[in-house]
Amino acid sequence: MTSTERWIEGGKTPAHVTRDIMRPLEGGVGLPWWAAFCAALTLLGAGAAAVAYTLTKGIGTWGLNRTVGWAFDITNFVFWIGIGHAGTLISAILFLFRQKWRTSVNRSAEAMTLFAVMCAGIFPLIHMGRPWLAFWVLPYPNTRGPLWLNFNSPLLWDVFAISTYFIISLVFWYLGLIPDLATMRDRASGLRRRIFSALSLGWDGSTRTWLHYESVYLLLAGLATPLVVSVHTIVSFDFATSVIPGWHTTIFPPYFVAGAIFSGMSMVLTLMILARKLARLEDYITVKHIDAMCKLVLTTSLMVGTAYATEFFVAWYSGNPYERFVFLNRALGPMAWAYWIMVVCNVVLPQILWWPNVRRNMAAVFGLSLLVNVGMWFERFVIIVTSLHRDYLPSSWASYRPTIIEVATLAGSFGLFFTCFLLFCRFLPMIAIAEVKGVLVPEEIV
Amino acid sequence: MSQKARKRYWKSLKERAGAGARESREAEVDVAMSRRSFLKAVGFSLSAATLSACSRSRVFKAAPHLVASEGVVPGRAAWYASTCGGCSAGCGALVKVRDGRPIKLEGSPAHPISRGGLCAVGQASILELYDSRRLKSALWGGNPASWSDVDARILAALKGVKTRGSSVRVLTGTVTSPSLEHAIARFLAGFSDGKHVVYDALSTSAILEAHSRTHGERSLPRYRFEEADVIVGIDADFLGTWISPVEYSAGWRSGRTLEGTPPRMSYHVQYEARMSLTGANADRRVLLAPGFEALLAEHLANEVAARAGAPAPFGASAPCPVDARQLKDLAGRLWASRGRSFVVCGTNNLAAQLAVNQVNHLLGSYRRTLDLQKPSFQRRGDDSTLRKLFDEISGGKVGALVIHGCNPAAELPAAGASWQEALGRVGLVVATSSHLDETSRLAAAVVPDHHYLESWADAQPAAGVAAVVQPVLRPLGDTRSALESFALWTGKPQSALDMVRGTWRASMHARQSSEASFDDFWNRTVQDGFAALAVGGRAVRPFDGGAVRSASRASAGPPGTGLALVLYPKVGMLEGRHAQNPWLQEMPDPVSKVVWDNYASLSPETARSLGVEQGDLVRLSTDAESLELPAFLQPGQKDGTVCAALGYGRDGTERFFDVGPDWISGKPTVPHGGRVGRNVSRFLSFVDGQLSCTTWSVRLEKTGGTQALACTQDYHSLKVPERLAEHPGETRDIVRETTLAEYAADASSGNPSEPSALATLWPTSSGKTGRRWGMTVDLSACTGCSSCVIACQAENNIPVVGKDEVARRRDMHWMRIDRYYADIEAGIEAVHQPMLCQQCGHASCETVCPVAATVGGEEGLNQQVYNRCVGTRYCANNCPYKVRRFNWFEYRRADAQENMVLNPDVTIRSRGVMEKCSFCIQRIQEAKIEAKRLGVPLGTEDILTACQQSCPTQAIVFGDLNDAKSRVAARMKDPRRYRVLEEIGVEPAIGYLTKVSNRRV
Repeated sequence: MTSTERWIEGGKTPAHVTRDIMRPLEGGVGLPWWAAFCAALTLLGAGAAAVAYTLTKGIGTWGLNRTVGWAFDITNFVFWIGIGHAGTLISAILFLFRQKWRTSVNRSAEAMTLFAVMCAGIFPLIHMGRPWLAFWVLPYPNTRGPLWLNFNSPLLWDVFAISTYFIISLVFWYLGLIPDLATMRDRASGLRRRIFSALSLGWDGSTRTWLHYESVYLLLAGLATPLVVSVHTIVSFDFATSVIPGWHTTIFPPYFVAGAIFSGMSMVLTLMILARKLARLEDYITVKHIDAMCKLVLTTSLMVGTAYATEFFVAWYSGNPYERFVFLNRALGPMAWAYWIMVVCNVVLPQILWWPNVRRNMAAVFGLSLLVNVGMWFERFVIIVTSLHRDYLPSSWASYRPTIIEVATLAGSFGLFFTCFLLFCRFLPMIAIAEVKGVLVPEEIV
Repeated sequence: MSQKARKRYWKSLKERAGAGARESREAEVDVAMSRRSFLKAVGFSLSAATLSACSRSRVFKAAPHLVASEGVVPGRAAWYASTCGGCSAGCGALVKVRDGRPIKLEGSPAHPISRGGLCAVGQASILELYDSRRLKSALWGGNPASWSDVDARILAALKGVKTRGSSVRVLTGTVTSPSLEHAIARFLAGFSDGKHVVYDALSTSAILEAHSRTHGERSLPRYRFEEADVIVGIDADFLGTWISPVEYSAGWRSGRTLEGTPPRMSYHVQYEARMSLTGANADRRVLLAPGFEALLAEHLANEVAARAGAPAPFGASAPCPVDARQLKDLAGRLWASRGRSFVVCGTNNLAAQLAVNQVNHLLGSYRRTLDLQKPSFQRRGDDSTLRKLFDEISGGKVGALVIHGCNPAAELPAAGASWQEALGRVGLVVATSSHLDETSRLAAAVVPDHHYLESWADAQPAAGVAAVVQPVLRPLGDTRSALESFALWTGKPQSALDMVRGTWRASMHARQSSEASFDDFWNRTVQDGFAALAVGGRAVRPFDGGAVRSASRASAGPPGTGLALVLYPKVGMLEGRHAQNPWLQEMPDPVSKVVWDNYASLSPETARSLGVEQGDLVRLSTDAESLELPAFLQPGQKDGTVCAALGYGRDGTERFFDVGPDWISGKPTVPHGGRVGRNVSRFLSFVDGQLSCTTWSVRLEKTGGTQALACTQDYHSLKVPERLAEHPGETRDIVRETTLAEYAADASSGNPSEPSALATLWPTSSGKTGRRWGMTVDLSACTGCSSCVIACQAENNIPVVGKDEVARRRDMHWMRIDRYYADIEAGIEAVHQPMLCQQCGHASCETVCPVAATVGGEEGLNQQVYNRCVGTRYCANNCPYKVRRFNWFEYRRADAQENMVLNPDVTIRSRGVMEKCSFCIQRIQEAKIEAKRLGVPLGTEDILTACQQSCPTQAIVFGDLNDAKSRVAARMKDPRRYRVLEEIGVEPAIGYLTKVSNRRV
């Protein structure tokens, strides 16, 4: 891509950019925001009530049983971690690859990552039988003598992987925010000014500052890049290192990473298409942006599809009867409906993105992005539940059906996510002002 | 907090979420606290604390015993030999008493009846000792009254009866206690017309009646299954519920040990309509429609007679109800093993029993395998006298009726229009029930008997076997031994101990020669729990064939058409006297795996033809009776029959309303005020003077409603579902089987050698020295009786979770019995496989726990550390055997009295914690401490796990695998040994021995 390729429409000047992006922050929000916020809060409230009930009564309020020990809880966890993948990909990897289109979406995508990881982090906590003892999974100095963590456990690796990912993502996001916070400081007065002044850490916009800023940003991008791969690799180890057929699969790390990017990108698409419409940012998040992201979605969809096919091939090729059974059971057994939702949403439907017209049709892309996330949620559900519900000994085969508490908890996680995201849209610039200014094509600057 | 304050009923969710919803101790955050309210609270608590400190509160002094009770060492168990009172079989039991509380029953190893095992019912009966709903005092007219008052009223009433000269009846179940029998006899002797009427709800009266006709003595032979090489069972569930299942299981097992050359293995054929536990273990199981038992026995008698060269005892009759060629073959086998074979029949039908006696006589079974010289006294019930009593009651001829040790109003069809009406015609009804049950509700006086662990008594389950029942704690309520009650009403009050000693001095002491002094004899007996006595050389009258021929012959078929309803006892529930025992209610039926219900069981084909599916409520009706039951599809059942279990729908089971956890989607185990299951005993009827369990021409219709059944096992076969199988008939290699012939040729037949040297990344544990605890389970021996399930529950404080939780697949038993069916040409075959934690060397659960709450111990145990567990359930997911159990809720332990049964050596697990079989680590520790105290090496053979101890067939062997001399190590080298899911590489420490049977010969 050449430096003159145009990503921002409408002949914007830097002043326009600042004004347009700051509009929702300074001019207040409209009815759609309030409606969305109320809806999100309601969901969050329902989820909070469900979690409170779980904490009071016990995990028995979920539909789990002695055979299926994980279902909605870990499905939601992996789902949200997957959503959280696009942010780092866009901010770090695309930055290193000098993909200029990322500037319009990276801020929101990073925010989305943070909120998604927050949602994800709740589930390993509340899925514990005794969550008040959750701090035992942290390696802190204690008085229990030789009783220490089990470093063999992938669940422990998760703790490290996810907390690292969250911290790096937070720092990266905050660092990117500093120039914009300074802009907000300069435009504000009174208390707002004092707050933004503190938050912008004395940014003065000098060349020296910019120089330091750019090098730190580049370094952090380099540091964050391996995390894109590592987090979901480690999450996939929860399953891959087990002995349960359908879980014990070496293909899981790349398969999970591709799936995560797939679902994360879809979620970015969902949010961006909504945001550009509601916040009137069509000039900044253009059809070209959507088109670029659709290409990534299509690529990862193909990767995920390949993984599905490979799993079946390996199950057959291994000659392991338990392994073969699990995969046949997925596709033809009592929970086949979940499997086929997954295949249709993740592999079949995204193929329409081969057509450029579809990639530029906002309604189609929006609908598809929602379906992809439905499919990706079911992918995790299929992996977890269909592998567990019929494993080695037929005497223990059982089924699974979620309770209302679990459904409310899932809804609550969406409530938390959207509450956070809507607050972000209201109080922080959704698009990196400073970075967008950097990709304005010079001729447009009057 | 009192129990009352804890329980809170709510009408809306809002109310529920409001005040009072905070019962959890730990997960509480109080958010509504402002500065002002904080100051208020501080002020209030300060003043409250000050004020309360001003009063002088009552001082509770805890003082140690000045003189400690002799033999009571805190923390050390004392064992007392006694006799199990769970049913009338009279198995020997050892009672474990910790700090004055009996906490566990185990089989008495040397006992001549039970030979070391104890069944599930016996094991669970200890829980009933602590039942807080047992009557705590005598009742008169339903109201608590003092003993002196009640006795005075009873004596006055009895005096009136005496002067009027009307009849007095004592109605009991089988009484095996000689002392009680004497006491009753003495009591009745005081009246001009006093009679002791004995019945058994699970009647075997026809067997006794048949023997009285053929051998001149109304007695039950002692069945010596251990001596039999060919066993033919006709509708007799002798491994599960029939007369003395522990004794018979042990005997059955002894005949199938595979010892010697050629290996010993009896041939067992079972004819039955329902799928019984015995049928599930038989070498050949043949379906026989109910009502054809007598005809089958007659045909068999004719066939055997033909081989014996005797004239056919039965003339031309209807055609053989089973395949005649197979019957000829069977007769050939019986004849070839004559003297070492027998036929047993459980049908309470005189014609059938007479024909069976004829076969057994022709086979010479009465010499060795059926003992009439030393008969059994385990069943004495006489249905004809019961029938007569019914007539007397309805005729208003009974002046006083004392009901002891049975619950006729629940177990029997009504004596008249209804029990209430019938007992209303009796002048005085006295019941000794320990609960307010169907019968005692109708009695004027209820004089509650002790639990058998609270009182002195004795038992004589068979000739030559006398046993004592000794109290192991002071009675918990103000109850009185029935022995003492009868003595008092006779006018000679005496303590139960004196009465028992009196009986023994008079009639037992002289029948042995080892102790000259009675006190020595008594002391030894109390220590052993039983005494072997000489049996006078009674001459049994020779077999009288004429009695058989003169009796009424089997009709060509059943006396009715259409559906036949067969009532049967379930393992665990029997006739229902233990219906209030939650352990037994939650014990999965060994065959159907259903808990907390009885049901109308139908063969899948019959159900299909009737359009009935599992869980449909169906109405069973005859012209007189009608009843609704949920349907259950039972493979292997005879088409055209519907089977329903007795012992359900009992009074008192309403208590299980809140046995399970209470939460938003939780359903109560029984509807409010409802009972567990439905009582089907009203379908019992008298046929030819005998209680018959079969009713013909029953109509079955769907009511349109459904009632879900809670079943611990969903999928019932090792065969992979057809559409998911790689090749048709794909079967999982979980249970390995072989036949006797193949085994004789090659001991490792059916057991393909283990994949040698599987590549592993783990350091191998096989080279480890030191102890490695392990276990073997002999699938040839295991009958699936589930006694180990209850043994484990009692030993390890396993909670009861209720029907809804089981339906949600959250049963908590550490030991489960997997039951798999297989289709064979002749129908259905079943195998049982005990499944428990395999204590893996490379345990997959251990690696995945983030907090190291489950770790491999020094001695190979996979240890679960409850207080470290945070409850991620990852270990359970990663367990290939799915033996880990999670505490989904804080399970109810509200009943303080019931909690006294808890084993103090085993922690109660709180909510959110994983648990599983520990190989009874507390027993290992106890043995280690004892060995250390005595300064002797640990005898690893002395450690018995709870499941192993109670097993009637000794299928389980536990010990140190690294001790080359141990039994378990020897069994591990058996060519039959295999390990389940060996190929995963988790190195399980449990070896299974292939099931060798005479199947498919």
